[in-house]
Amino acid sequence: MGLLRDWAFVEAAVRIPALRDVVREALIRAMFTRDDRVLPREIVADLGRTPAVTVKVKDDAEVRKLVEVFSGGESSVNLGLAPEDYHYFRRALSVGKDRDIGVVPRPRVLLTYDWLVPEQRGVELDFSAYAEVDFQKGAHRAVAQVGAAWKDAYDAALAAGHLVPFVPTVPLDFSIGDGVWGDAPYGSYRAEFGEYVNALRSVSAYGHRTRVGFEDVSNEGAGYDLLHAILPVASEFVVPLAVAFRLLPRPSARKTLTYGFDDPAKAAAALDRLGGSFRTPLWVHVVDGAAAGLLRPGTSSEAFTVQLSLSGSAAGLAAREKAFDVLFAGFKTKGTDVPNPFDGPADAYRKTADRVSRSLFVGEVRIPVRALPDFHAKTKALGAQAAAPASLYASLRSTGILSAFPAFEASGERHRTYELSKGVAGISEGIPGSIFVSRIAHLWDDSPGFRRRMALLQKLKMEIDASRVVQPLLRS
Amino acid sequence: MASLDYAHRRLVNTLGPERVARGELERMVYSHDFAALPKLVLAQWRLYPDFVVLPQTTEEVSTIVKLSDESGLPITPRGSGTGSYGGAVPNRGGVLVDMRKMNKILALDAANRTVTVEAGVPWGHLAEYVASKGMSLGLVPIAAPASTVGGAINSGVVCFGSYRHGSLRGLILDLEVVLPDGSVLHTGSGHDAPGQFGDLTSLFLGAEGTLGVVTRAVLRIDPKAEETRADAYTFRTLEDGVRFLQAIASSDLIPLHVGLVDREHFVLERAFRPATPEPADIALVALQGHKDEVVEQEKELDLLASKAGGVKMAPEAASDLWDRRFTMYGARRLSRGLVVSSNLVPVARLGEAVDAAHRLLRTMKLDGAIQAALLDPTTASFAPYVLMDDTRPSGPATLGFVKKMGDAARGLDGHPMGLGMFMVFNLAKMHGRATGFMGAVKEVFDPTRKINAGKTTEVWTKFTWPIIDTVPPFMMGLGLDLAAFLRRIKPTRDRYARAYRKIGGP
Repeated sequence: MGLLRDWAFVEAAVRIPALRDVVREALIRAMFTRDDRVLPREIVADLGRTPAVTVKVKDDAEVRKLVEVFSGGESSVNLGLAPEDYHYFRRALSVGKDRDIGVVPRPRVLLTYDWLVPEQRGVELDFSAYAEVDFQKGAHRAVAQVGAAWKDAYDAALAAGHLVPFVPTVPLDFSIGDGVWGDAPYGSYRAEFGEYVNALRSVSAYGHRTRVGFEDVSNEGAGYDLLHAILPVASEFVVPLAVAFRLLPRPSARKTLTYGFDDPAKAAAALDRLGGSFRTPLWVHVVDGAAAGLLRPGTSSEAFTVQLSLSGSAAGLAAREKAFDVLFAGFKTKGTDVPNPFDGPADAYRKTADRVSRSLFVGEVRIPVRALPDFHAKTKALGAQAAAPASLYASLRSTGILSAFPAFEASGERHRTYELSKGVAGISEGIPGSIFVSRIAHLWDDSPGFRRRMALLQKLKMEIDASRVVQPLLRS
Repeated sequence: MASLDYAHRRLVNTLGPERVARGELERMVYSHDFAALPKLVLAQWRLYPDFVVLPQTTEEVSTIVKLSDESGLPITPRGSGTGSYGGAVPNRGGVLVDMRKMNKILALDAANRTVTVEAGVPWGHLAEYVASKGMSLGLVPIAAPASTVGGAINSGVVCFGSYRHGSLRGLILDLEVVLPDGSVLHTGSGHDAPGQFGDLTSLFLGAEGTLGVVTRAVLRIDPKAEETRADAYTFRTLEDGVRFLQAIASSDLIPLHVGLVDREHFVLERAFRPATPEPADIALVALQGHKDEVVEQEKELDLLASKAGGVKMAPEAASDLWDRRFTMYGARRLSRGLVVSSNLVPVARLGEAVDAAHRLLRTMKLDGAIQAALLDPTTASFAPYVLMDDTRPSGPATLGFVKKMGDAARGLDGHPMGLGMFMVFNLAKMHGRATGFMGAVKEVFDPTRKINAGKTTEVWTKFTWPIIDTVPPFMMGLGLDLAAFLRRIKPTRDRYARAYRKIGGP
C-alpha cells in the first residue's frame, strides 16, 4: 500500500525486456481496474490478499509491540543481539523469515484512491483514536499524533495562540497523518507541507521509538536530510506516530477576500500578477463555478472564484486589501464577508467536506498559473466527453505554480477513474511546464531518471527496513 | 592500488596538465578549510591530497570518479572551502576535485523563474547575475561572496533571507550529481513538484559531498523586490536584543533577515576598521517587499524595538551594516585564527543559549563574539565565534569551545551544525536511534566508500590497517572535551589579547 511496493510489484511483473513497453501500461490498467480475466493468477492472488486484522491504536507501545513481534525480535533466538545486528546477520547468512507480516497505517480520508497492492495479510493500523495535539508553551510548534484531524488541530492551534500555516487545497476531513501516508494536499501560499514539518516521531522496523528530524528546530547541517527525502513515502520506511510541525503566531487580524472573475483568462492574469509580486497572503485558493457551488451551496458564483486569506494588523490589512484590489484588476465581484471553508465551525467544515468528497478526484496537476484557462477548458472538455462534468479546485504557490485538482461528477468506478486519469495526464502533457503527480501517474512513469531514483529509494528502504515489517515489498 | 605516477598520467590525459596539480604548494593550500587546525592532526589524517584536479564538465567529473576504480584513490569534492569541519579536506590523500572551474551560469528562464548553474559558481556572482536580469535569489548563504552553489548545498548552510523565503531546500528544484559509480543522476523530476517522483534532492543537502559530486543545480528565482531596506537597533543588553528577536518571531512580520550581534564583535572589529559603529548590542533587520508594506512593517518593527528598549540607528549605519553582512569574521586578523561554532537553537531558548555562550567564554578565558539570526519563527541560528592564537601550542585548545557550545545547543533542544571530519561524534547524539538510517544512506549511494568516505557517519584515519583505520566518533568528542579542559585550566589569557589590551583594547 505504497509507492515503493506498487512500483516494485509492477517492475517484477514486467521483467521480460522484450515485452516491457507493451505490457507495462496494460498491466497497470488491469491491476487498477481489477480486470482479473487478463491478469495472471498469482497477481490476482496478491491483489486479493488484504490485511487480516485492523488494530485501533491508542498507545505507541502497542505499535512497538506489534513491530517487535513481526520482526521476529520476540520469537527468534537472537543470541542477545540488538535487533539491528540480528537482522544484519540474518541477511548476511541468507537466513530468511518464513513469511513477512507487515503493518500499514490506514488513511482517515483518501482524496483519490489507495495504492494497488494491499498489505498481504498484515495488520492495518487505525490511528483514529491516537489524535492528541500538543502545543509547546512559548514556541510556535506543535506535535500532532497522526490520527488528529487537521480541522481539530487547526481550531486547537487558534485557541492556543497559534495558526496552522498549511491548509488542504480540497477541504476534506483529513488527518495530519494523511499528509504523510495519504494524499492530503496540504500547503500554503508560501510553502509546501514538507517545509513546515520539523520531525516525525516514529517506530522503526526494529520496534524502537525513533525521531527523524528535530522537533524544536529545523534540520540544516545535521547530516543527510532524510526526513524530507522520505516524507512522501515515510510510512514505507518507519511507522509514523506523530508529526512535529511549525506554526505561525496567531495574527492580530485576519481577513478573507473573495474575488469573482467571469473569465478564466482574467483570473489567471490576476494570479500571475500576484505570483510575481511580493505580497504574502496565507493561502490563495481558486475554484471554478461548479466547485464554488459545492463549497458554498445556494450562492451564485462567477466562472472563477479566487479566495485568499490575509493576516496582519487591522490598519495594515486595509492597505493591503487595496493593493490586492489593484493586483486583481479585472475581477467582476468582490466580497469581504464570504466565509472560507476553514474558519467555520467543525460541523460546517465536515458538511462541506462530505459534499466535496462525492466528486471523483484523480490527483494533482501542477501547472504554471498562466496555463489555467487552457487547463480548465481542456478539463471541462474531457468531462463533457466522458459525461462526467468537471470542476476544479486549486491553490497558488508564491512560485507561480498552481496546484490543481480536477474533480468529476462521476461514480468512483475504477474504470472511470482510470480513463479520466489518462485524460488528465494527456492534458498535462500538452501544457508546457505542467506535471500530473497522481499515484497512478507515478506508476506510469518509465523514464530512466525516475527508475534510477526509485531503485535507490528501494535500496534505502531495504536497508532501513531490513526486518521487513514496515509495508514490506512483496517477494517475487 | 596503481602507482601515483600512473594515476597522474591518467588524470593528465583526461584533463590536460594545466588542470592537474601535484605540487607541494597546491596540495598544502587544499589541506585545510576555514578552520585552523593544529599540526598534530596530521598524525591522524593525511590532509594533503595527492592530486588536485579542476574539471570543467560533468563528463570530466564522471571520468575522474571512474578513474578512482583503477587508481584506488579516494575522491574529495570541494567548493571554495568555506566550511569549518573538514568536509572538503581529504583524510587519506587521494584526488581532490576542485569544482570552481565549473562556474558557468547555463540558463536563466525568467518566465518559469529558474536558473541553471554549474556547481562551482559563487553565490555572490550568481546573485549579481540574477539581479542584472531583473530577478533575485531569495536566499544567499552567509558566506556568499566565496561560497559556491555546490558547496553550500552540500553543507546545508544557513542563508540570509531564510526567514522570508524558507530554507535552501525550497530553492533547489533539481541537482545533477555524479554518483560514486560514475553515472549521472538527476535528483528531481525537473518539474516544480517537490517530493514527487522519487525526489532525492533533500538527501544531498548537508551531505558534505559524501554521496556524490554535485555538478549542476536548477534553482528557483524570484522577481526583484520593489524595496529592500535594512534597519538597525542598539540595545542596552544582549538579553534585550534577544527579547526583540523573540517578539519578531511572535509577530505578523515577515522580514527578509533578522540578526543580532553583540557588542564584543564591534569591539574586535574596531581594532582594524575605525569606521565600525560604536560598540553595542545591535539587531539588524532587513525588510523586503512593496514600498507600502515595507513602511508598514518598519513601523511595527520600531514599536517592537522600543518595547524591548531598542534605539534605532541612523539609516546610513544600518545600510552599512547590511552591506557588510558577509564579512563577519575580520577579527581573525587580530589573532591569526578564529573558530566559529554554528548551532541551531529554538527561538524560545535563545536567551539560554546566550547565557551558555557567555559562561563558556568566561570559563575558557576566550575572546569572541555572539551572533544569532532567525531562520523561521521557531529556529534561530546561533553562531558565536572565538579568537584562537594559532601560533601558540595552547591555541588548538580553543577548539574545545565548539564541542562545549554544541553540547549546550543540544541541551537546549537544538543541534550543532556540520559534521564533516571533526564533528562526527555529534551524529549519534543528535539523531539517536535514527543514526543508523544515516549510515544506510551512505551504504546505498556509496557502498565501496569511494567519495569523501570516512566522514559524516564515521571517522577514518589515514591508516588502512584494521582496528586503527577508524576512530570511534566518541573518542573525537573526548579529545575536544580534553581540549576544553586544558583551555579552562590555562592560567593566562592569550598573547594577542594581552598585547591588544596594552594598546588600549577592551
